[in-house]
Amino acid sequence: MKLTDAVRTAYEGVSNAKIRSLLTMLGIVIGIASVMLLMSIGASAKALIINQVQGVGSNLIFVVPGATKGSQLSAPQSSLGIVIKTLVEADINALKQEPSIKRLAPDVRGGARMVFEDKDTQVTFEGSTPDFFGIRNFNVAKGAAFTEQDVTGASRVAIIGSQLATDLFGAREPIGKIVRLKDIPFRIIGVLEQKGVGAFGIDQDSLVIIPMSVAQKQLLGINFYNSVSIEAQPQYDINFVKDRITKIMRSSHRITNPDKDDFTIRTQADVLSLLGNITSVMTAFLTAIASISLIVGGIGIMNIMLVSVMERTKEIGLRKALGAKNKEIILQFLLESLMLTMVGGIIGTVLGGSLSYVIAYVIKNFGGQAGWIFMMPASALILSATVSTVTGIVFGLYPAQQAAKRSPVEALRYE
Amino acid sequence: MITATNITKVYVDNDITTNALKGISLTINQGEFVAIMGPSGSGKSTLLQMLSFLDRPTAGIIKFEEKEMQTLDDAALATFRNETIGFVFQSFNLLPRVSVYRNVELPLLYSVSLPADARKSRIEAAVANVGLTERLQIAAGKLSGGQKQRVAIARALVANPAVVFADEPTGNLDSASGKQVMEILKKLHEDGRTVILVTHDLATAQYANRLIRIKDGLVDSDTAL
Repeated sequence: MKLTDAVRTAYEGVSNAKIRSLLTMLGIVIGIASVMLLMSIGASAKALIINQVQGVGSNLIFVVPGATKGSQLSAPQSSLGIVIKTLVEADINALKQEPSIKRLAPDVRGGARMVFEDKDTQVTFEGSTPDFFGIRNFNVAKGAAFTEQDVTGASRVAIIGSQLATDLFGAREPIGKIVRLKDIPFRIIGVLEQKGVGAFGIDQDSLVIIPMSVAQKQLLGINFYNSVSIEAQPQYDINFVKDRITKIMRSSHRITNPDKDDFTIRTQADVLSLLGNITSVMTAFLTAIASISLIVGGIGIMNIMLVSVMERTKEIGLRKALGAKNKEIILQFLLESLMLTMVGGIIGTVLGGSLSYVIAYVIKNFGGQAGWIFMMPASALILSATVSTVTGIVFGLYPAQQAAKRSPVEALRYE
Repeated sequence: MITATNITKVYVDNDITTNALKGISLTINQGEFVAIMGPSGSGKSTLLQMLSFLDRPTAGIIKFEEKEMQTLDDAALATFRNETIGFVFQSFNLLPRVSVYRNVELPLLYSVSLPADARKSRIEAAVANVGLTERLQIAAGKLSGGQKQRVAIARALVANPAVVFADEPTGNLDSASGKQVMEILKKLHEDGRTVILVTHDLATAQYANRLIRIKDGLVDSDTAL
């Protein structure tokens, strides 16, 4: 039997029961659409996070206080809400001597209410030094960043995010306005460029950046740092710089046993890898859940194909009487099953892709994530095609074999 | 052409044993028009199934042109049926939702591949032979009983078989349509084809030139007409 004849015969089998075929297909359509949607959203989320991490700046190394439990990709203790006071000025001074480091910026952060006239909003503030802006890619759109003199002189000045400026001042000019942070007056000297939500969920457009000295002494009352952002000299390999920083920190903290490190050093690649792992695991988990509907859809196909084989017993008998071999009967029913799953897969892919596109549009335009882009990874398309085909074969094979087993005489006699 | 020697067929269903054929021996020569008659349950349809190689006998030997057919596996028998035998069934066995053209094409789907043009010509010729050219693209389910059986005859002939088996071909037809169908089968015989007909109707059997009567799974009589 020619393949074109087999395909046409299978098409007739499917199209002769249009409503049933469409309903049978629905399980596969929903399953594939769910998987496509989740894989597409997962890829978009991953791309967004990676872009945001990369947007922080290149050649970056972060030093945070506290050891990392378990693997290198585990969260450091300091990120788990534990206050660790071991990252101090002596460390910063030691690191500043290292020639492979281009510049660095320690930072502290906290939360407080910011008040302007009758407006009152909760904000996250960061205390740092002027290099913080360059290292972390925070560009001042309006006004200016604070200077080294502002840090040493503990000037009560603040640079605020673009969204915060809109929320507090509306159409009014924010530069020069006095706001209160923990009841301490601050003069707005700059507004940041729009940047969106950061890699760790911090809305960077609602951030307040103030001089380190003011944040440490006047707002938080501490003498340690939450982290240090370090930009390596471009001519040095990032891992070499990481090793150098490790040695400096151990020396500064008088650590001889590496297992006793009380700090964690992460390059941008480490962070990307960590976030990539998290999003991949999440996507895989959600996709696995969505795949259950594919199995249900496959069982639906098998069920309908078995009914179809039963109903068409006489047709099977006729075909065998006229010369069809077992393998040709199997091929016919397998192709019918494949047609249902593959067409269902195509519809599901288009539906899942379209839904993902609409979701991306909504998130981008109404969800405050300008960096969210629609993505349909090739792996999702390959998976869709593979799963559709495999489902068709796996769930179509048994009914096809049942069809082929019929003896022509018994099948012709079947009522 | 077809030689059956002492063939038996036993059916066992839920411990009930039925001896449908009890040792039939006969020879059908090329170009004969044979009618097999007998009362209901006599074994005539079972005999047709054995002679047309749709089923295998429980015991005995059936040869086609001196070749013993029991040695062939199912796939080889399917190919043999496709190339050598045409079937006309009492209940037509057409695919009702597809066209006359596609119904008649069925045996050619499983035969040695013909060029598209040759296949088309064969189908059109077979349909023209039974006078249904104008119905070529009509769904088979929309035809009258007589037309359906003519389509079934066209399908039986399209692969140019040496033997045509017809199992009660007029059983579901009115007398006019039945006569029309029998005239077509008679013409096939006159053109040199072997036709084997199973019927319970003596008037239908009169179209044949040999009558075999079956009774209780045995040949009761075998006479020329």
